[in-house]
Parts: sequence; structure tokens; C-alpha cells
Amino acid sequence: MKRRQGWLFFIIFLLSLSIYLLISYPLQLGLDLKGGSQLTLQIIKEEGKVSKDELEAVNAVIDRRVNNLGVSESNLQTLGGDQLILELPGEQNPLVASRVLGKTALLEFRTQKAGTSKDLKSLQIQRFKIKELIEQYSSFEKIKYDDNLLINIQNDLQETEQELNYSPTSNDLYGKLIEIKKYIDNEITNLFIKTDLSGRDLINAGRRQEQTRSSWEVLLTFSNSGGDKFAEITKSIAGTDQLLAIILDGESISEAGVGSQFANTGITGGSATISGNFTAENARELEVQLKGGSLPLPIEIVETNTIGALLGSKNILKSLYAAISGLIFVGIFMIFNYRILGLVSVLSLVLYGFFNLALYSLIPVTLTLPGISGLILSIGMAVDANILIFERIREELFDGNTLTRSIDSGFQRANSSIVDGHITTLLSCFVLFLLGTNFVKGFAATLGIGVLISLFTSLNCSKTILRFFTTYQSLRQKNLYLPKNSLSN
Amino acid sequence: MKYNLELIKNKRKIIGFSTVLILLSLLGILYSTFNTSYKKPINLGMDFVGGNELRIERVCEEECSDLSPDSVLENLREISENKNVLNNIKLQLQNNNKLISIRTSYLSIGESNNLITNLEDIVGPLNYESKNSRLIGPKLGKRLLINCVTSLLVSLVAISLYITIRFDKKYALFALLALFHDLFIVFGIFSWLGIILSVEVNSLFAVSLLTIAGYSVNDTVVIFDRIRENLKSKKESHNETIQLSVNESFRRTTFTSITTLIPLLSIILFGSYSLFWFSLSLSLGILVGSYSSILLAPSLLLKD
Repeated sequence: MKRRQGWLFFIIFLLSLSIYLLISYPLQLGLDLKGGSQLTLQIIKEEGKVSKDELEAVNAVIDRRVNNLGVSESNLQTLGGDQLILELPGEQNPLVASRVLGKTALLEFRTQKAGTSKDLKSLQIQRFKIKELIEQYSSFEKIKYDDNLLINIQNDLQETEQELNYSPTSNDLYGKLIEIKKYIDNEITNLFIKTDLSGRDLINAGRRQEQTRSSWEVLLTFSNSGGDKFAEITKSIAGTDQLLAIILDGESISEAGVGSQFANTGITGGSATISGNFTAENARELEVQLKGGSLPLPIEIVETNTIGALLGSKNILKSLYAAISGLIFVGIFMIFNYRILGLVSVLSLVLYGFFNLALYSLIPVTLTLPGISGLILSIGMAVDANILIFERIREELFDGNTLTRSIDSGFQRANSSIVDGHITTLLSCFVLFLLGTNFVKGFAATLGIGVLISLFTSLNCSKTILRFFTTYQSLRQKNLYLPKNSLSN
Repeated sequence: MKYNLELIKNKRKIIGFSTVLILLSLLGILYSTFNTSYKKPINLGMDFVGGNELRIERVCEEECSDLSPDSVLENLREISENKNVLNNIKLQLQNNNKLISIRTSYLSIGESNNLITNLEDIVGPLNYESKNSRLIGPKLGKRLLINCVTSLLVSLVAISLYITIRFDKKYALFALLALFHDLFIVFGIFSWLGIILSVEVNSLFAVSLLTIAGYSVNDTVVIFDRIRENLKSKKESHNETIQLSVNESFRRTTFTSITTLIPLLSIILFGSYSLFWFSLSLSLGILVGSYSSILLAPSLLLKD
């Protein structure tokens, strides 16, 4: 008897500890419950596996970019060997993040091949034209029904195709325009020769509005050696008709000449400006990318999940309804069939709920919709053990044993088959947790934790509560444990 | 209350019933593989093939105006820059025209945002707080599919190993037979649902299959334990002892199934829509699982 009382105090202690934990460490909610966006970034490597170092390097670059973007409370973690998951809570638009993160941001400085001035000029004109056409096409689609404009665009496009001697493979107009622009960009880049100056030589980047125009420019600050390289390169082309191109991910974003006054020393001072008609937003994105450095391996955004805040809170409410109604109906079923024993199992279920949630905030487990369904499902499984025990107790009572004896042997005899029976469920959870995606892991974690805790609550807690009940004489009548009709049978 | 299931008398009926269920499932799977547009044993959802799913509510005063999906799509085609985006588009209106749900092939975030802006131009203001958008690249989808299939296989092997160690050969064989019977039938039901109602399966379906596997074996283990225990002590014949054991554990097995089904039903009734099919497949699995644990697996143990 003494030992049982010890258990009772222990359980009360655990319950208060759980409530304390839940109050001081609120549960972490997943995005499907609080709203927000989640991006899955896949590292692309043509051959072989992504090594640990490479994963860390990519992670570091992405982390710097996210920080520089100024997204609050974002969370970046690696998944498997070659994926990263970025969570942006709240109403933050994933579009900017996806544009900034998705680019490799490989910055190169190239000098023009000698004697290609004419080719470059004509390509630059074509590039200007195609940009115009793309803009026109966008506005045409918005306002609609100026058929002349569409015909003009088509004619101009055809002209450009002939001049370039290149025919795009795409079928629709928009695809053709984009393809030709890519082709021109590529041709321009090919007119320039690589130098050993690159984004690695930067120590900082910034942006400012141009003085005379409304557009923005991006400022680059080189390291010492980078500054020397920059001076060397500018010196080599100063006063010639060769231009210096700044190329980002294979696309030239600026081509500029170097004046003859720099012929002796090159441009010194360790800084440069890119003024390529940036909007405020473009300039900021480039700044963030350059500050974060270029990615050692390209990445692709393979999954985006966005959930509005309102939908999130609705999901919480719905899950709460489902959990509570599940609990109530299971409770009614148990009390109807097992009387006092049913009440005991309801009480241990409530304890079970508290212990579970407390453990979630302690570990911590991020609660998601699948996670909640795992928790709700485990309510049913937690009762499973109770039913096994109660059935045994019933049998003992039928055989004419005393209440105390029946309870004792009921718990004892059911013990092994309960532990045994839960092993297969735990096996499944374990596999799910190892192999599953983030989404699935939530379910596996809550179901697995639930099954483990249910072993404690349904064996120990139920027994203790039952023992406590039976200390009262009025609660020791057999018919309180067996429905009348079953006794008469 | 004593239960009296006449297992011995009905052995043929039980095995016949299961055979019919299995054949129906097989028929669904075959029909789905050869006679549907997707040519797969089951209608794979976005998680596995990639794509874009968007659900968003309109802002309406009192009631939302009538819309026809076709005219919305037509307007969308007219104002979209990139027509490719709309190649495989499907649009549905739910909740009295309030909720718009759209499925397309995979889009970038930018393209998806454009789609929403264009949609807003056509149907009026949208409530961004209610937005739910999922974009899954085809590469990731394939990976998820491989992942799910491996998880299923690994845990089936693990469960089989556990059962073989725990029971002797005959018991293990029948327990596993019952398990595959359950999984196959749930799979078959969802093949049919895919054919008839275009229900798609996502990674949560794979999770439900795994959970069913664990649960169904658990049930069978309890009954087989009882049979083994009784075979050692009782004087009745082999077949009668089995029938007796099943009747003894009948209450326990049905009760635990009921207490597991109750929470699942509350998720189906009150829970979030994204858990609807998941809870349904779990419920079906538990129903079939209880049937096979109580009736099928013990019947297989009966001697002729």
C-alpha cells in the first residue's frame, strides 16, 4: 500500500511538472498551424554524392543570404544529405527569398576579346530590342486587344531571329522571347575572356541610388588582393576599345570601358560600381547575394509550401475539436462498458494527454497537422492497453475472485502481451522517422512517443488510480466494475 | 456475455469472402494500370508526381457571386503571359463559390504568384490569409515516391522478422498473410476511389499503410497468443480450442478497434481537410485488420 501511495505522489508531481512545462515553454507549432512558408532547396550535383563539407558550405552561404535579407524568425536546417529546408513564418512573401536563394550568384569579371567591338555593339542593340519586346508583350497581355501590337511584336521577333540567324525551339511567343534573350546573353558573354578576379575577392557589397537617375547601383568592395587584381585588369584595357564586363551567373549585367587616364596604374582604391539600371529591389537582392558569396553548388527550389495565418488558426481549432470529441467519445464508450474501470482509463487518458504535450515542449517536437493526427490516433491505442487489462480483470471477477486479487492479477497477466503488441507499431514509427520526410516525421514522432507514454500511463497510472479508488469502501462493490447484464450471464 | 462465432462451420465462407475482396482489389489495380489516363496501379497525387496546388478564399460580402470554372479559366488564358502555365490546369469552386482550388503542373513561385494576381483580376479580391499553396518539383516527387516505397518495404521486412522470431513458422506465415491481405485491400479500395472519384494518394497514404501494418499485426499477435496459451492447457480438440480462443478475445479486439476508430472518425468529421483521406484509409485499414485478425487468420490455422 505504501508503495502505491508513493506512485500517487509521483504521478501528481509529474502532472504538475507537465503543466508547469506547458506554461513556461509553449508548444512549437509547425507552419500548417501558424501560417508561413517553407522552401525545400535541393543541392544539384551532376556526379557523385554531395559531401558533408559541400552541404555545410551551401548551408553557410544560404544562411548568410537569409540573414542579410532580414527575414525575422526564419529557420534553416539540413534534410538528408543534400537538401535544406527554410521556414519563413508569418506573411513573408517567399518570392523574394526564392529569387535571392535560388541563384548561384557566381560573379565574374571578364575583359573583351580584341577586335570584337562591332559584334558586341550589334548584340547589345539586339538585347535592348528583345528586352523592349518582352516588356511590350507583358503589357499587351495585361491590357489586351490591341492586335496591332501583337503583330508588331511578332514581326520584330522574326526580324531579330533573322539577324541573329537563330531560331528558337519554343512554340509560344513568350517562350521564344525568353529563349532569344538567353541566346543573346550567352553570345555576349562569349565575347569576353575570364580573368582571375571573381566574387571571392569581394569583402563587401552595398547599394545606393544613382545621383542623376532614379535607378540604383550596386557597390563592390574588394579585398586587398582583389583590389590589386582589379587595378591590373583595368590597366590592361585602359584606353583601348576593349570593355570590362561584370557577369553574374553567365549573364553580363554591365559592360563598361576604362578611360586612358588609368593606363598607368589601373583603377585603384579597391572598389567598383555596377550600374545596370537596377530597381531598388533588384539592387538589394544582388547586394544580399554578393554579401553571402556564391554557392559552391547550384541549388534548385523543389518544394514550396505556403499557408495563410488564418488557415493555420482554423487548422488548430479543427484539430482541437477532433481531439476533444475523440477523447469524449472514447471516454463515454469506456465508462459505458467498464464503469469505474472506464473512469480510471479516462483519468489516465487525461494524464496521458498532459504528459505527451509536456514532452513535446521538452524535446521539442514541432506540432504539425500529421503530428496531431498521430497524437489523436494514439489516444485510441493508449486505451488498447487498458482494455486488455480490464478484460483480464473481468475474467478474474467472473471466476469469483475478490476485487483486489482480480485487479492485481489482471495487471500482471496483461503486462507481457501489452508490451509485445506495441512493438510492431513502434517498429513502423521507427522506420517512418528514419526514412520519412519532415511532414511524415511529425506523425511518426507523436505516434511513437504516444505509444511509449501509454505504456506508462495505462500500466502504472491506471493501477495507481484504481488502487486509490478502492481504498474507499463505497467504491468496492463488484457491480461498479461490471455492468449488471454481464454479471447475470 | 459470451460470444459464439462459428469459425469452424464458416471457414469456407470466410476464406471465400477474403478471396473475393482480394480479387476485387486486384481488378481495381489492373483497371487503374491499363485503363486510366494516369496508367498507374493507383492515382498518384502531387506529392509523388509534382505540381502546384492552390487553395484560396474569396473576400465576399455575405454571399459570393456565381462563377463558372470554365469562364474563369478562359479569362485566365487571356491575361496570362506564359500560356504554358495553364496547360494542365484544373479549377474547382467549393463552399458556395467561396473557395477556389486550382491544380496545375509545376510552377515557380513567381509564376504561381502571377497566377494568383491574374485570378484576383478576374474573380475579385482574395483573402491571402486563407491561402494554401503547395509547389512540388517533379524531381522531389520521384524521390518522395522512392522514399515511401522503401519505408514500406523496410518496415514490412522488420515486422516479418519480428513475427518469425516470435512465433513458429506456421503462425508467422498466417499472420503475415493476414497483414498483406489488409494492405492489399486498402490499396485496392484506393485504386477504385482513384478510378471513380479521382481520389489521389499522397505521402500520408503511405504513412497510413505503415500504421495499418503495425496495428494489424498487433491485433493478430494478441489472438495468436491466446490460441497458443489455450492449446497448451485446454483439453478440447485443436479446432475447437482455436474457435474458443477467438471468442475469448473477441471483445478485446473489437473494443480496441472501436476506441481507435472513434478518434479517427472525429478527425474525419471535424479535422482539417488535408487529413480526411488519411483518416479514412486508416479507418478502413483498422476495419479490415480487425476482420482479418478475428476471422481470417485463425480460420487459416484450422485443420481440415
